[in-house]
Amino acid sequence: MRALAFLAMANPAGGTDAGTNAGPDASARAIAAARTGGLAAFETLMRQHERLVLVTALRLLGNIEDAKDASQEVFLRLYRNLGKVGASGNFPAWLYRVTVNVCYDMGRKRASSVPMEDVPNLAAPGADPQESAAGTERQRVLHMSLRVLSAKERAALVLRDLEGLSTGEVARALGSSEATVRSQISQARVKVKDFVERYFRRRV
Amino acid sequence: MNCGESEERIALHAGGDLPPREAAAVDRHVAECAACQALLSGLRQTADALRAAHSEPVDSAHYAAVRARVLSELSRRQRPRWAYAALAAAAILLLVGVWPRATPRPQPQVPAVAAVRGADPLVRGGPPGPLPRVTPEAAGRGRRTQGVPRTRGSAPPLQQGEPGPPAQPLVVKLITDDPDVVIYWISEGKGE
Repeated sequence: MRALAFLAMANPAGGTDAGTNAGPDASARAIAAARTGGLAAFETLMRQHERLVLVTALRLLGNIEDAKDASQEVFLRLYRNLGKVGASGNFPAWLYRVTVNVCYDMGRKRASSVPMEDVPNLAAPGADPQESAAGTERQRVLHMSLRVLSAKERAALVLRDLEGLSTGEVARALGSSEATVRSQISQARVKVKDFVERYFRRRV
Repeated sequence: MNCGESEERIALHAGGDLPPREAAAVDRHVAECAACQALLSGLRQTADALRAAHSEPVDSAHYAAVRARVLSELSRRQRPRWAYAALAAAAILLLVGVWPRATPRPQPQVPAVAAVRGADPLVRGGPPGPLPRVTPEAAGRGRRTQGVPRTRGSAPPLQQGEPGPPAQPLVVKLITDDPDVVIYWISEGKGE
């Protein structure tokens, strides 16, 4: 618990940084332009929503190269479906759903979840435990904590706690019921807390 | 935790996911239960730390790399379509330009000629007089104006250079390797 308190104080800013750079009207205009305006207009559409896609993929997959691959696939699917997304009404929800699905597909091809016992020691060799906790180790532990979750728990937690979606929005993005999502979110929160506490208890 | 309060409810409460009445009930319980208080506090601190760890902005170079890869891929996919279109256009131009010359030209329809002379020798049984010189243009027009003689001389004389009745458009369908790309070429039928 002490370790957790330290973690929280060390970087109190918090908040989410994902999401889109455009409101609904701007998105609709950009989609309409991209449908008829060629690649330049599509690039504008990508710029508006690239943070949502890449950051979500990074949080789900855990490394930037995989996240870039996933983002590329998401935008290619967007290009193929420009005619449909305009009518869907909720473009960010569509993007979240596709991003999660692409990440699921990529996760199936590689081990996306590791048992808690298999998590390696993330501290630099010989580093002082307290100094390590204050530095990159803290970041690594928190990033690694998502790896102990199942793919669906991770998606629910990322969309709810890091992306800031409501449970209803998460349910729509994941194609699940709200009750299922609430269960996944609560289990994920407890697992992450247990992982972080156990990790620092073991280190200290 | 043996107090009967569910871990799930506390975990949901930690993220503000309980309706107000349930949240108030959990708060009342937590105020009197040290174990649940520790759990709720730990969950909230972990959530804060997790958000902080994930709040670092992604380097803009990564966004640029994704955009470049996507645009490159889309350009690569679009290129064959233009190639198909250019090839098809060239083939059709060749077809439209060469085909009328390559095919044997039928004799001009007699009625059209007769109209020029003001009489239809085949219908009226008159002696066939000397036919006017038929130019390739007139021959082509005659080929496309079948059916005109049914008016039996009521049709106005067909003068050289005057447009004939509308011809059937020539429709060419080209199927490419890409199942999404089918090219239709519709010609006005002017031919030469």
